[in-house]
Amino acid sequence: MNLRYMTKELYYQKRRTLMSILGLSIGIALLIILNSLSLAYRQAAHVPLKEIGADITVQRSGDVPKELTGAVFPCSAVTIRKEEVEKIQKLSGVKGIGTGLLLWVFDPNRAWIVLGIEKENSIGPSLLRSSVTEGRFLKDGKPEALVEQAYARQFGIKLNDTISVADKRFPVVGFVDASRAAKIAVANVYLPLKDAEDIAASSKGLQSVSPYVLGDVNLLFIKADQEKITGLASEMKGILGNKATVATPESFLKLLGSLFALSDKFTLAASLIAIIVAVLIAFKTMAGNIAERAREIGVLKAVGWTNRNVVSQLMLESVTQCFIAGVLGLLIALVVSFGLSFMKVNIPIPWEMSPTPHFLPGGGDQIFKTLRLPVQVPWSLAFFAILLSIIIGGMTGGLLGRHISKIKPSEVLRHD
Amino acid sequence: MTKSSILSGTDLSKKYGDLEVVKNVSLAIDAGEFVCLVGKSGCGKTTLLSILSGLEKPTKGQVILNGKEIDGASEDELALFRRENVGFIFQSFNLIPTLSAWENVALPLFPINMTNEERRKRAKELLDKMELGHRIEHLPSALSGGEKQRVAIARALVNHPKIIFADEPTGNLDSSTGEAIMDILNKLHRDEGVAILMVTHEAELAKAANRVIRMKDGEVVS
Repeated sequence: MNLRYMTKELYYQKRRTLMSILGLSIGIALLIILNSLSLAYRQAAHVPLKEIGADITVQRSGDVPKELTGAVFPCSAVTIRKEEVEKIQKLSGVKGIGTGLLLWVFDPNRAWIVLGIEKENSIGPSLLRSSVTEGRFLKDGKPEALVEQAYARQFGIKLNDTISVADKRFPVVGFVDASRAAKIAVANVYLPLKDAEDIAASSKGLQSVSPYVLGDVNLLFIKADQEKITGLASEMKGILGNKATVATPESFLKLLGSLFALSDKFTLAASLIAIIVAVLIAFKTMAGNIAERAREIGVLKAVGWTNRNVVSQLMLESVTQCFIAGVLGLLIALVVSFGLSFMKVNIPIPWEMSPTPHFLPGGGDQIFKTLRLPVQVPWSLAFFAILLSIIIGGMTGGLLGRHISKIKPSEVLRHD
Repeated sequence: MTKSSILSGTDLSKKYGDLEVVKNVSLAIDAGEFVCLVGKSGCGKTTLLSILSGLEKPTKGQVILNGKEIDGASEDELALFRRENVGFIFQSFNLIPTLSAWENVALPLFPINMTNEERRKRAKELLDKMELGHRIEHLPSALSGGEKQRVAIARALVNHPKIIFADEPTGNLDSSTGEAIMDILNKLHRDEGVAILMVTHEAELAKAANRVIRMKDGEVVS
């Protein structure tokens, strides 16, 4: 192998070299972009759950409340018994559980969406702590309320006012900005979990539809081993029955509906096509280049280059071109990925997870979590693409070199 | 083959299908001898030269070059043998267009484990001899026909060959440049003792040789 010969060949045969490099770099760029997009959709699908510090949320559908008076459970979130929560807690792969109690409270002159939250649990709606815009977050052992900022503005609720929810009185200690919070597990009023449990336990209307005892909840927020999420989802359905709604990143991915989000198989197939196209382009261009150099190869052999010398030289040229193509493809992909990262994606929140009663204004509207698609090229993918380019170069140079090195110098060097 | 023979071919034949282009040719060339192979176009001169130089295998017969029987050797063995013993000069120069003059001269040395500086030094010595010391960095496209052929001659000499095979070395040159190239070949043979087997169809050029072998229809006629 001679580096000088290789660099001169690539430099002086600019058209040939550029054609090979551009062809392969487009294939490599496609491969990187497709996989980065797919990865971005996967990461986006984690966002609605990540915002409440969970990997899985669980609730269970039940019967529609008979009367819309007092406190009721939404039909999409009825009782999950304490024993069921304990069983779920013991499942292998569950790292932690947060609980919540979502209530619709229909007081004579106002309807509240109430969420009872665990104040100190980092999994679940207690993450609202960072969304407090005025006043403070809930303190332990006190019956007090946080009110959603827009709701407070609409109904003229002020800080330190006392609100009455299901005949219980709560001082308003703070406001939260729900637009900055998660799209799931949101409410108008946030109470300590214990107070929400008391309201649920004392509601006859609620009890008649979905029997409830203190300690039961109707929302679970679960932190889990990433590799075990799919298996855990089906185990939880086994514990809670067919009416359980188990939301995972995978289920949000399906809701996204994009081809990239729909299946790994599509990304795999598209990547394979990109690789095959890249290989074919590299092979065809280099085959043409090498065929044009039959006479040159004949000279090399005549002056004493062995077949191995010829193959090594052609492989060096091919690997170098493909390496440059890989780097160029990576740069193209980085630029395109940067452009794509400005794209917005709307993740639909399933109606079961929407806390607003569908019969209230805006309650039937589809809710979306809108975010910028987090497109970026991971190091591992960049490394794989460069390595793949080098392998393509080695294989192409090796195969074509072996083929062309078989020519007989006497056949190509006969004087014209 | 005599003791002083550098090259001998015995009963050589070459067939392409039914066409026999070289028929039972036997010849020997002594070390330092300048031999011209003449004959009309298509009489089998180039094929015979290819067989004798190890570029092509005979259908029948035996070739001994510098004491080694080469007709049964593998492709790679032949390549290595050519690298160490043989130089080639072609009618159309066959320089690599992307390499400079000195790099073309050093081409047979590229697979050998030595530094580029050493290769360049050896190539420059030879180009100086060819009065091309000022053109070492030029690409073939910047050289005249005569200069290209002088670069090719330098390339043929770079590995200190025992014999040079020249196939119509003046065929692409005008008469005065052709004469200059013949002078160089004569000088090489005279001063350096390199054996030369030159193929030509020009009887005038053959006058410079020690011996002339004439071919007709694939056979040696005199």
